[in-house]
Amino acid sequence: MIEPRLLQNFNGNRALVVTDRASAMDTLVTALERLGVAVAAGNIVGSVGDIDLTTLSAERDVIFIDGDMGDGAALPLTPVGQLPPAPVIGVIGVTAPSRLKALMRAGATSFLRKPIHASAVYPALFVGVNEYRRHRHLEALLEDQERRRRGRRDVVKAIIRVMAVHGLDDDGAYDLLRRRCMAARQTMEEYCSALVREQDLVAEDTCSGPDVARQEGRAK
Amino acid sequence: MPPLDIDIGVLFSTTGSYGTVAQSMLNGARLAVEEVNRSELGLRITPSIHNPGGDLANYAVHAEALLRDGIRHVVGCYTSSARKEVIPLFEKHDGLLWYPSHYEGFESSNNVIYTGAAPNQHMLPLVEYLLQHHGRRAFCVGSNYIWAWENNRILRESVSSRGGAVLAERYFAVGETDFSQVVEAIIAARPSFVFLTLIGTSAYAFFRAFRAACRAAGIDQAREMPVASCSLSEPELEAIGGDAVDGHLSSSVYFTSIDSVENARFLRAYGIAFPEGPTASADAEASYNAVWLLARSIAAAGSDDPRMVKGRLVEQHCHAPQGDVWIDSETFHAFLTPRIGRSNHEARFDLVGEARAPVRPDPYLINNSGRFEAAPFPVLRLVS
Repeated sequence: MIEPRLLQNFNGNRALVVTDRASAMDTLVTALERLGVAVAAGNIVGSVGDIDLTTLSAERDVIFIDGDMGDGAALPLTPVGQLPPAPVIGVIGVTAPSRLKALMRAGATSFLRKPIHASAVYPALFVGVNEYRRHRHLEALLEDQERRRRGRRDVVKAIIRVMAVHGLDDDGAYDLLRRRCMAARQTMEEYCSALVREQDLVAEDTCSGPDVARQEGRAK
Repeated sequence: MPPLDIDIGVLFSTTGSYGTVAQSMLNGARLAVEEVNRSELGLRITPSIHNPGGDLANYAVHAEALLRDGIRHVVGCYTSSARKEVIPLFEKHDGLLWYPSHYEGFESSNNVIYTGAAPNQHMLPLVEYLLQHHGRRAFCVGSNYIWAWENNRILRESVSSRGGAVLAERYFAVGETDFSQVVEAIIAARPSFVFLTLIGTSAYAFFRAFRAACRAAGIDQAREMPVASCSLSEPELEAIGGDAVDGHLSSSVYFTSIDSVENARFLRAYGIAFPEGPTASADAEASYNAVWLLARSIAAAGSDDPRMVKGRLVEQHCHAPQGDVWIDSETFHAFLTPRIGRSNHEARFDLVGEARAPVRPDPYLINNSGRFEAAPFPVLRLVS
């Protein structure tokens, strides 16, 4: 899985600003426009609940959330990495733990201090967006590892069956399966799961033994 | 109607390792002040000139003193380190720093007016020229601070995206003058060009050492391994001196060799005012332009209130020595005309490339770079 490249040019991105005091965000809006990040008037909203989630894009959008708001609504977070649907940058006024915790729970990956200084916006954007991308990558890695972990049971089953059919030891059976999964352009876990599933079906139908050759032909 | 009296600050390190360039910047600012005071703008500007002596810690002390005295506009700073040192003070006192030097970009303070070149006006044209005319293998040597780090990043990304390579990046403390080891390394590596971001006396020492070592090795350095820079100017060529002065490439928005009525008039006035030198430079011209833009904006606003001055600044057009110059209302950086020059034996630059018109500043390179950093080396993971 390729590690994400750092995003350094935000031209063409879209910002959504969640605040109950839009006037306090003038500097932010001006600084974002200098960076090529569009902030339409309709994208400055009074609550997270006003964001249209169906149009949100993690690649294009960045959400700035004013931490001083007592917003009852929250963005949906992914189950594994607790990530929001787009990068969130927290705007900090009150620095009490409850406010900071609320922004962290919203998935903020960087912060801007009020009053906002124009020169602080690019670094916040750079860190916030790239940190979000890194978290998303790690989340995908974790999901991939979890999927593979679950598939190891089928790998063990497949090795045992190949050992029985071909009279090989466990290393030989593993090598055979490895070559075949590479030829099929599948992961070891995917190939073995399919093999075990198919052979279970065959066993159910014919009560016969495993048929590695048939699976190999199907995968090709 | 009596003229409006305005006090401004002028903050240049006319002593220290980059004192030569800073002296030419001070001269440019002083020349503009004299011309403004003689003009019909209705202003009488009194400059309060401060010299931090090249010591970073002194910049804040001098800037604070000027701002506490009620001065609201300061023309000054050469290095980015110095600018970053004083910006918080200008933000605190709501003053305006008129920064008249080329720099590496990625900044846009509401309390700074940038009249020098942004990276798309000096760095990118130079990279394009080098890749087209000299090859794709770069060797980077620079002073160890943000100017060199960031310019080398831009160069590295541009060269990598074209299939080229940066053979090495070497950094030295500001003021370092012993380059024997890196010169040996360059000659051994034989790059297509050397990209130099050393400043001041370090740069002069490098030029002399590199030329001498190449000559001893029978290498035509200017032809085989030219040195390219975004900060080399005429006063520095004079400081390099001797037979190491020719054949270097510089990317700049101003060279004294520009053939125009405005430049001829500027050089004549500069020469009369400062016969002892140093010669005019791109940064001297940017300082000169900064004072004129400041004066015109104050005259238009009828006040030196920074907000009012900024409001009127974007209406000003300056027929500067380099051509038309004006300020971009979004970034408060200047529209300037990029050029490439090659130094000659007379310590001047022959123009080898020039943009057709002033180029819009793009300090964050939002219109002149890819969205992503250049592809890093692939990270391989263990698969079995």
